Order: sequence, then structure tokens, then C-alpha cells
Amino acid sequence: MKKAILYLNQFFGQIGGEDKADFAPVIEEGLIGPAAELNKKLENAEVTHTIICGDNFMGSKQDEAVETILNFLEDKEFDIFFAGPAFQAGRYGNACGVICKAVKEKFGVPVVSSMHIENPGVEMFRKDVYIFQGGHSAAKMRKDVKTMATFGDKILSGEKLLPAEEEGYFPRGIRHQVWLESKKPASDRVVEMLVKKLNGEEFETELPIPKADRVPIASPVKDLSKATIAIVNTGGIVPVDNPDRIQSASATRWGKYDVSNMERLKGGEFKTIHAGFDPAAADANPNVIVPLDALRAYEKEGKIGKVHEYFYTTVGTGTTQAEAARMGKEIVEHLKEANVDGVIMVST
Amino acid sequence: MVKEIERAGFPIVQMANLVPVAKTVGSNKIVPTISIPYPLGDPNTPEEQQWKLRYHRVGVALDALTMDVQEQTVFDVKF
Amino acid sequence: MKLELGNFYVKDIVFGDETSFNNGILTINKEEALSVVKEDEHITEADLVIVNPGDKVRLVPVKEAIEPRCRVSGGAVFPGVTGKLIQAGNGRTHALKDCSVLVVGKHWGGFQDGLIDMSGEGAKYTYFSQLKNIVLVADTDEDFEKREQQKKNHALRWAGMRLSEYIGNCVKDLEPEEVETYELEPVIKRSEEVAKLPSVVLVMQPQSQMEESGYNDLAYGWDCNHMVPTFMHPNEVLDGAMISGSFMPCSSKWSTYDFQNFPTIKRLFKEHGKTLNFLGVIMSNLNVALEQKERSAQFVAQIAKSLGADGAIVAEEGYGNPDADFIACIVALEDAGVKTVGLTNECTGRDGASQPLVTLDEKANAIVSCGNVSELIKLPPMETVIGELQSLARDGLSGGWEDDEILGPSVKEDGTIIMENNAMFCGDQVVGWSTKTMKEF
Repeated sequence: MKKAILYLNQFFGQIGGEDKADFAPVIEEGLIGPAAELNKKLENAEVTHTIICGDNFMGSKQDEAVETILNFLEDKEFDIFFAGPAFQAGRYGNACGVICKAVKEKFGVPVVSSMHIENPGVEMFRKDVYIFQGGHSAAKMRKDVKTMATFGDKILSGEKLLPAEEEGYFPRGIRHQVWLESKKPASDRVVEMLVKKLNGEEFETELPIPKADRVPIASPVKDLSKATIAIVNTGGIVPVDNPDRIQSASATRWGKYDVSNMERLKGGEFKTIHAGFDPAAADANPNVIVPLDALRAYEKEGKIGKVHEYFYTTVGTGTTQAEAARMGKEIVEHLKEANVDGVIMVST
Repeated sequence: MVKEIERAGFPIVQMANLVPVAKTVGSNKIVPTISIPYPLGDPNTPEEQQWKLRYHRVGVALDALTMDVQEQTVFDVKF
Repeated sequence: MKLELGNFYVKDIVFGDETSFNNGILTINKEEALSVVKEDEHITEADLVIVNPGDKVRLVPVKEAIEPRCRVSGGAVFPGVTGKLIQAGNGRTHALKDCSVLVVGKHWGGFQDGLIDMSGEGAKYTYFSQLKNIVLVADTDEDFEKREQQKKNHALRWAGMRLSEYIGNCVKDLEPEEVETYELEPVIKRSEEVAKLPSVVLVMQPQSQMEESGYNDLAYGWDCNHMVPTFMHPNEVLDGAMISGSFMPCSSKWSTYDFQNFPTIKRLFKEHGKTLNFLGVIMSNLNVALEQKERSAQFVAQIAKSLGADGAIVAEEGYGNPDADFIACIVALEDAGVKTVGLTNECTGRDGASQPLVTLDEKANAIVSCGNVSELIKLPPMETVIGELQSLARDGLSGGWEDDEILGPSVKEDGTIIMENNAMFCGDQVVGWSTKTMKEF
């Protein structure tokens, strides 16, 4: 039998109401509150432990709460982690999201929760946690616990998981291809959608445009004449033997190349391995993508302090955002170490 | 990638031909380039002209690094 | 313009003495057919193989698919490409249905080439696994590109077209089982009944991003890179005016077979006069530089508006930076007051978590999506491989790799393969065959 652990707040953990919201995390062997119901509904696992933590404790001392709970779990065997249901309780929703995310990252087990659509925890954690659309209040406890258990069973049995809409959890921003059961070809779908759009009828796009994620603008370089400037590029400029074997599409690797003794990049010494465009121009003159020659000129003029010893390369085509973010973070470490002050990113 | 570098606090300017793409991925400072295969120098033009273009646009990018902007900004180029 | 497509349904393909079609049996004289292939001295080795749905056969690297046809009213099937320039889309063309000529490299593949499994789990990833295929497996002396990732595949693709025309000619003088008629009145001379229906155009964005000639889709033999959007009759597309190129990651590619049968065009014809007034096709393209992309979008919107289009479908042959052309075109049309639906595939990464298109705009609020190019696919070994299995890993096919820290090489010792959907031959079927869509998980 596989094992499950459930997280509850002070109220459902039967510690007390609002006055106990500062309750520090505990782990109890066995079934407390909704854990009994969850255990009853789960077919492929037994609930071995219940974790209880006050909502305010999690809210105000999040790091401490998470660390304590992760320590509880260190020596426990478990295959799946549940939290809630949190209904419309905002602080509880947040707590379920925080702990599920942390448990998933640390132990790599599936994490499942349930919240009402208006619970702010949904928007905060839908990308990290399977959050099922639950009821408004505890009146829906049995139903919501059943939903979580059914899905848990499905994961544990290795059954094929259906798209979010069909399973009933909030979409996690993960898109995969599926074959339509109706076998309706794209030609029918596109013409029907057009007719509906023309007639002012409701239609459903197959690609909802996601909202953009923004980063705060970094503070500017104060004194360019003392600044170290680095070049990063996604145009695949590498030494001709491509020593880091960076892939020409869907890259997972990047490289850094020493140019401290070079005035410019020479064709024949560097080339592009990017497969998404005609390489002729960049092979002949790699400076059209990594403008080392121009930066050297500005260095001589004193407009900039110095050109960073290395430039950094990867390939943009088909590279996943997750991979790009990871490579970005890795490159950041090198930039920090070299006290780089500003970065020019050339993309193709 | 731009976002990760900026998130770490480095001022960064993206030189890109596809400005709409740069905007969509969330770059805050953008300097346009002339094409995808040769962002900074058209091989069909004389070396001298390619150099002038590259020198100019890299200069704009460097200046952009020093600018205190409040929103996504696409910087103008002359050549 | 009135096109009659005479259909001959192929039930079986065999080799025999005379290339002929009889009672659903297509017989091919192999020797004669190969001599047509070898008219080009660059073809150094060639063989023909017949493969059927359900055969335990894996084909790779597949370069092109063509429907065998002949132009009954005279002239080349592909005007401006395999023969003199004449108007396509008018008169009578005969076609051998349920079959295709597939062109497979004997050894060497490239970024633009793909894979087809005729049976098993892999069959569902391509359209061509359900057709009876005459497979040309050949090699060439085009040594300049043997080790290049981007290949023009000129000798092989042209050999495929010659072969398809040679085979198609056997039904030139026969009476077809069925005749499909495609006809549109001139745009401003349509009956009131038709004219009062919402008017729509199909905007096609064929792949044309290589600046060097020899890689891009051709319109009457003309490189689509060298054109601005123009108005075409849909019959021209169905009748050989457009041929596929040799550039795009394979699952996004439109083969020549796809152009000849373009399902979205046929579907619009079906709706014409009932719910829609199908004005025609605006043939656009895909570009490299932003200004080119914007110029094309501007031309498309102007043509659509001048024609009086109320609605448009925009179909994109590609992903990655071509998404910028796609979105720009949709936005330009919407801004011009033309209600637009997009037709494309996505690149959400192996984990499905990446942004689906590289540019997005809220105005693109109606899109039909046909798949994820980077979906990981693992397939067991296949009894027979036609071509060379190693090409998937060795030659830089867009969905294959030589090595990967976690997944190892694309081709395992026992013939198991692991690849991205990218290398499935015309797998995303954006022309309209696709029964795939994208769902959130």
C-alpha cells in the first residue's frame, strides 16, 4: 500500500479557531479531522500522518513553518501529499499552496489541493500544484475530499491524466498536444470558428493568450566609463569546433568563450550553429551577432570601462522557457563573479 | 533569459530584430537590429556601412544601459 | 476559373510490366519509373518500394510527399517547376487518390526532413501512414550539402515530382470514378445570394525564410521570399501552382501533397454559397526581418479590405520567429476590421510550460492549434527501416539529436527512437488534416 500525508490548518486540525491561528506546526501519526474522510476515499494509498499548522503562523513565519514541516517529512515515507481542502479561506489557501510547492520541490512527489475559484491561493499556486475547483465552504468537505482522493488514486495507479478541464483542476499553464476524440479536423474547426466569429456568436479559441510576466527594470549603469560590459547572444556564435556541443535547436547547453586577446571575432575561428536561419552572413563575420569589434572601439574611446573577458552563447530556437531561465541563472553566476555592470543581449 | 539576468539586478539591453517578440518575452530595454541572420551588418552592403551601423547601434545600446526608464522602451536608431 | 479534379481511388499498388491503372490496382513498371528518376544525372542510386498502412516500416529521412497526377488539359503538373509556365487551376487534372509518392534519402537527412511510421504507436503522428505509398529511396552526388544541416534536396525533390507525374500519366485517358469541381465566379460578379453572405479570404503563409534560393516554397517556380502578398485563386493552389520547400522543421512543413489537397481550401469551398462567400486566397509569405514581416501584413490587410473581406483565416507554415509574421498578420487584419481566425501549431517545449507562440497579442483571440512541435515521442524499434535510421540522430533533423545528457541519443542500439514531434513528417498538419489540438494540463 502506498502512503499519503495530509496538511490541515488549525481549524480543521481540531486545534481551535482564530485564537489558535498562531499554532506552530505539528505532525501527528494517524488521522485527524478530514484525514479520516480522505483515508476512506483513497483506494491506492493510506493516510499515515496529518500535519497541522496555524494559518497565521504560516502567513507570518513562512520560512520557519516550511522548514519545520520539511524536517518532519525528512524521515517519512510517502508517495503523495495532500493539503486542504481550503474552500474560500484565503490564508488557508495560501498555506496549502506554499507547503505543497515546497514539498513538491524537495521530495518530488505529486501534490494535490482543492480551493474555491475565488480563493487567492488559486492564482498564486495553480502553476505549481494540482488545485481542484472546490466548494465555497466546509459544507462541501466530503465532495472536495472525494475529488482529491479520486485524482490521487489516478496518479498513484499510473493512469493517463486528462487535460485540466476534464480532470477538474485549475490549468497549470502547461500545454500538451492531444488527439480529439471527435476526430474533427482542423479544417472544420477553423471554418466553424470563423463562421461563429463572423456571426457574433460565442466561440472558444484553442490558444488563450496568456498574461505577460514582467520583471522590475534593473537600475541603470551609473558611470559607463568605468563599467564592464558583457555580451550574451542567442544566435549560436561558437568557436568552429563547438566545444560545448551546443545544440542548434532546442538548446539545453550554453558556452562562454574567452575574447580577452581579440579585437574582433574572425570568420573561420567562430561560426553560428543556430539552425533557424541562413548562417552565411554570421559565419563570414561573427561580429554581426557578437559585436566585439564595436565594443572594443568604445573601450578604446573610453566610453566604456572594459569589455568582459568572455561572451556567452546559446541558441534561441525551440528552447523551452524553463531551460532558458536555467541557463540564464547559470550565466548570472558568472556575470556576478566577474563584476559585470551591464549586459548586451543580442538575439536572432 | 533576459528576464533572469535583469531579475538578478543587471541592467540589460536586448538587441533584437523582432521587437514584438522582445516585448512579449518581457525585455525592458530594446534596441532594434536589422534582421535575424545578420542583426548588426547587412552583408549585401559595403564593410564600411556595416561597421557604421554596428558601431551606431551598439552605442545606442550602451547609452540605453544608463537610462532610467519606467516602462518597456524601444530606443530609436538612425542607421 | 473552373477546375475539375478527376479522382481514381487506388486500392493496391504492385510492380508489373506496364504502368497502368485498372480496377483500383495501380501497376508500376519499376524499371521505366526509375529511368524517369535517373533523368537527372545527380541521382546516383535509386530504388522504389511500396509501403502500405499497417506495414512494419519506418521511413526516415523523408523529404517530400506528392500526389501522383497528370494534367489532362495539357502541360506540366507543376507549371514553372517541372515544365513550362501555364495557368494552373483551370481545366481537368487527374489524380490517383489514397496514395502518394514519398521521397526518402538513402542515407543523408537534414533539419527539414522527417520520419513516418506506417504502423504502431508512431503511425498517428503523420498523415501519410494512412496512405499507400510509392517510396523513392535515393542518393545523390550533391556533396556540397551532404554534411550540411540545411539541405536543398533539389535532385531528390525534383525526381519525386517527375516520378509522380510519370505515374499519374497512366490515368490521363481514363474516365475517373469521381469528378470534384471547383469554381468561383469573379469576386465582383457573384449572384446577390452569394454576395450577401459574409465574405472571407484564406491567407496562406508558406515558408520562405531562406535568403539563398533553393530552400523555400515556390509559387509557379518563383521563390516566395521574393514576393509581396498577392491574390490567388484557390484552384491554383489545388492544382500544382505551389510546391513545398526544404527548410522548416518537419512537423510544421506543408508537403506538396498538402498543397495539392489543402483541406482548409476544400472546406471553404464546401461552405461557399451556403454560409460564406469564399473570395479566394491571399498568398503571403514568412520573412526574416521585422520590416519584411510588417510589410507583408500590411499588404495582406489592404488586399483583404479592398476585396471587401469580412473575415479571414490565416495559416502559418512554421513556428518560432514566423509566429511574428502570423500574429502581425492577424493584428493587421483585425485592425482593418476583418474578423480573423488563426491556424497554427505551438512550441510549448518538452515540458509544455513555455509560451506557445513567440509573439502574442490579445487581438489574436481566435486560434485553432494543431500540436506542440517539441512534444517528446518514444517509439519501439520497427522491423524494417527504409532510408537510414541514424540520420535522425546524426544529421540534425529538427526533432533528433546525437546525444543528450538525460535522454541519450535519439536512436538507440536496438532501434528504439526518442525524438521531438518536430521531426514527424508534416506531422502537425496545419493545412487542416490535424485531429490534434492543444490542451492545458
